[in-house]
Amino acid sequence: MLLEPRWAKILRDLTAHKLRTMLVVLSIAVGIFAIVVVMGGRGMLIDSFAVNFPKSNPMSATMFTSDFGDLVTAAVARDPRVAMVEARRSETFRYRVGALASVADPPAGVAVANRSRSISLTASRDWSAQKIDKVFAQGGATWPPARGEVLLEMSVRQVIPVVVGDSITVDVGANERRELRVAGFAHDINAFPSMFTSTDSGFVSMETMGDLKRPTSENVILLTLQKTGLTREQASTLAADIRDDTVAPAGVTVYGMNVPKPGSHFLGDIFKAISVLLLALGVMALALSGFLVVNTVSALLTQQTRQIGVMKAVGGRASQITSMYLTLVTVYGLLAIVVGLPTGMAAATWFASYAGGLLNFGTTTGGPPGYTLALGIAVGLVVPIAAAYIPIRIGTSIPVVRAFNATGVDAAKFGHGLVDRALGLLRGLPRPVALSLRNTFKRKGRLALTLTTLTLASAVVMSVMCVRASMLQTVADLETWWNHDVEVTFAQPVNARAVEAEALGTPGVVAVESWVTRSTTLVRGDGSENDSLFTIGLPADTTFIKPKLTGGRWLKADDTDSVVVNTDIAKDENLVVGGVVKLKMRGLEKTWHVVGVVSGQLMGPVVFANRPYLENALQQRGEVGRTVIRTQAHDTAFQQQVGDRVERRLKDLNEPVSGVRTQKGMRDQVANELGILVTFLVIMATILAAVGVIGLSGTMIINVLESTREIGVMRAIGASHASIYQVFITEGIVIGALSWLFGALLTYPTSYALVKVLENAMGIPLSYVFSWSGLAIWLAIVTAISAVASLLPAFNASQVSVRDAISYE
Amino acid sequence: MTTPSTEPSDALIRLENVVKVYDTGEVPFTALKGIDLTVRTGEFVGLIGKSGSGKTTLINMITGIDRPTEGEVIVDGTPVHALNENQLARWRGKTIGVVFQFFQLLPTLTVIENVMLPMDFCNVHAPRERPEFAMHLLEQVEMADQAHKLPSALSGGQQQRVAIARALANDPPILAADEPTGNLDSATADAVFGLFESLVDRHKTIVMVTHDNDIATRVRRSLHVHDGEIIEETVHRPRTKRG
Repeated sequence: MLLEPRWAKILRDLTAHKLRTMLVVLSIAVGIFAIVVVMGGRGMLIDSFAVNFPKSNPMSATMFTSDFGDLVTAAVARDPRVAMVEARRSETFRYRVGALASVADPPAGVAVANRSRSISLTASRDWSAQKIDKVFAQGGATWPPARGEVLLEMSVRQVIPVVVGDSITVDVGANERRELRVAGFAHDINAFPSMFTSTDSGFVSMETMGDLKRPTSENVILLTLQKTGLTREQASTLAADIRDDTVAPAGVTVYGMNVPKPGSHFLGDIFKAISVLLLALGVMALALSGFLVVNTVSALLTQQTRQIGVMKAVGGRASQITSMYLTLVTVYGLLAIVVGLPTGMAAATWFASYAGGLLNFGTTTGGPPGYTLALGIAVGLVVPIAAAYIPIRIGTSIPVVRAFNATGVDAAKFGHGLVDRALGLLRGLPRPVALSLRNTFKRKGRLALTLTTLTLASAVVMSVMCVRASMLQTVADLETWWNHDVEVTFAQPVNARAVEAEALGTPGVVAVESWVTRSTTLVRGDGSENDSLFTIGLPADTTFIKPKLTGGRWLKADDTDSVVVNTDIAKDENLVVGGVVKLKMRGLEKTWHVVGVVSGQLMGPVVFANRPYLENALQQRGEVGRTVIRTQAHDTAFQQQVGDRVERRLKDLNEPVSGVRTQKGMRDQVANELGILVTFLVIMATILAAVGVIGLSGTMIINVLESTREIGVMRAIGASHASIYQVFITEGIVIGALSWLFGALLTYPTSYALVKVLENAMGIPLSYVFSWSGLAIWLAIVTAISAVASLLPAFNASQVSVRDAISYE
Repeated sequence: MTTPSTEPSDALIRLENVVKVYDTGEVPFTALKGIDLTVRTGEFVGLIGKSGSGKTTLINMITGIDRPTEGEVIVDGTPVHALNENQLARWRGKTIGVVFQFFQLLPTLTVIENVMLPMDFCNVHAPRERPEFAMHLLEQVEMADQAHKLPSALSGGQQQRVAIARALANDPPILAADEPTGNLDSATADAVFGLFESLVDRHKTIVMVTHDNDIATRVRRSLHVHDGEIIEETVHRPRTKRG
């Protein structure tokens, strides 16, 4: 005999009650799974970012300039404030996937199946010597790209189906195109993922840039600073000084600068928000898993009360019996580790790959960090023991006489509590329904734990539905904001009248308006600069946008030096209505009065000014950078068709079209950006819902098992199988409905808080919507789940013979 | 906590003015009303009475399964009423073997494992000796050939025999049996009772609860319990064993 009897009992209890064992193991495993997915996935994303981001040697500042040569690069390199400098050329083109012959212009009026997109092509004289914002070829692609070839940024595969060997056809001028072969894909961690932007990225040689009828000199300066540990403002000031002291004196015009927060990625805030949310939800799943363990172990001890009494009667001390059941729980934990850990690790790897692809962080080889394994094991062992310790201590401390007299319900207490008496007052209910209601509240501790688990899960699921509805509303609000169908942007200012006339002459166009657009630098009081702004000069009475005022007023026709700012820049720079702001654009530095603030449109920081005044100030009369179009119909296909037609007509006139976007396309882009957050929330809500369902199923299985004798009595006095099912299904549905009700009460504050967290993380205002349909959907789901969770154990119990049921202990 | 008995009458079990009141939440119920009882070493005492008379409560006082509201319970020199639960469990494992009406074998342990369980808890006998000793006990109750079966495979009488063997696991001086034949047919009950008689012959002290008058006449001394009081005591002449 290998084992002492008490340990043999524990092991056999595992196999004798397979359903209960499975329930407890699943309860623990789901907690392990949730924590491992969150910590492992998060860890992989952080690791991949921590490897790939520094590996790219991200720039401290980027200057977009007029053409320059090696002398300028050398001068910047000699600046003592500069650590490294690199020069490149960047040009934006319109392009289509497909060979030259396949994308010849169709007859006018016929839609082109393969739509044009915008692409920013970056060229370098010597890609092999790249030092800053480094790009890495993927999947064995040849680097650097040869003449006539392009390497596309790998995130472009999120939006268009393109493979190595395909061709793209690039519009290089009036009715002129060039074909480039897609030689492979490259990862640029510093590029915006294609699904979040309307402009794709690609990399070519300088010779290829020349073939595309563009100069083969540089127009972009990338630099890193000697000083480290700078704030964004300090870095911005330093970069501005280098521009003014070194670049500008070399005869180079700097049209704009980009100075990110040092050491941070532009998606850092979103990732942080995702990270915090996932961590919170992972911990919640773990806590709920602990509740399930408490419930199930308590039920197990209730079932074994008499056995505990016998063991005490034959000499077993409470400490000995406690250690027996703690060992049982430890074995449950080990089994749960076997189930939850490998599945969690696999899911974490998938999650990291999925999220890394969406965020374009790239991936590292290997799986989740080593600590994830240790964490999963620790959770699998510690959490069940911690959760089960008190129920075990309570269960094994029972005096022998109470253990032998135990009926599962304390006869002295039942019927005296407030709830019991309230239920007793309900008159006119059919007996089986009354029985269901009283059974529901018979074991209040177990009910409380089950309800807690299911309520929290319900609250999170319904809150996620509200967040999703809020995101959709935000996108819908943006559609209202952009009260036009197509937007055409130009690489340089164009004659407004000519462009508008051509656009108006395009079939399907009903109205057009043109705007002055300029990259803008905000000059702060201390001299530091924020150069990520964009100014739009438009008619004060425009109907092509419907801005949502959050303060002050909109522009007036007679406004001169008044501007309206959006919430992005107002928040970043503490701009208020009635205040002033100094802006620099095209060499013009001027102080403007802030007369209003409008909600951000997910377009970054934008300033609106009265077009006629701005044109005069910039000496750019009649020259515009953007034309917006209203079409006859507003569906996606029609907008795209008209956009393509307008683009062709303008290119025929040799107008420098750099981008064409439809309102639906902009909406999709925003929806993608917001959708990524909702996707993560849905994943975690699903896990929590699974925990809730396991909890409810477990409770119903245990409740039915403990009612086996009652079932025998009911069948002995004439209850049919259907009557038995009705009793327990009603009990299950009551628990499910209660959890829905309590969860619904928590949904408003929870979802509102979630939306605010996301709003702060993304830096954009989000519309809040309480989703009544989400509540209704979850009520239907939880009712169905409750019914099914109760049906199976009730069916099993009804199959036991009356004799065996009555003698069940 | 065992002290040698100093009573000249070598009373092994002594109850003095034991009262037990149950608080049912409405009217308190007095199950025992000042019981005085003495059991000597080697006696075979029957507690006779109808259902609800207090006989099970009385035997629970002796085994320490329940505690008196008032009074003293001294068993083999130990004031049982003053022990805490852990001390009681340890004391009970070594001093009293308990036999229940419904056998109460652990369903997931085999027959021999059920018998070894008290040895396991009380650390009596070296671990290597326990299986052999358990088999010896099973032979005494004629259940050795069922040693590796589960209780569910045995009849009621067989389970009760195993329960008796378990009660003897730590060689306690006292056996307490609560309606040990209450769930058995008459022939089986007779056979089981015979086991108890043989244990008396081996100088065990046995206290048995029963409502069976026939069995009541076969014990050495029967105490009639009625409404929480011992109303009559009868000493029986030793009978010749049946069969």
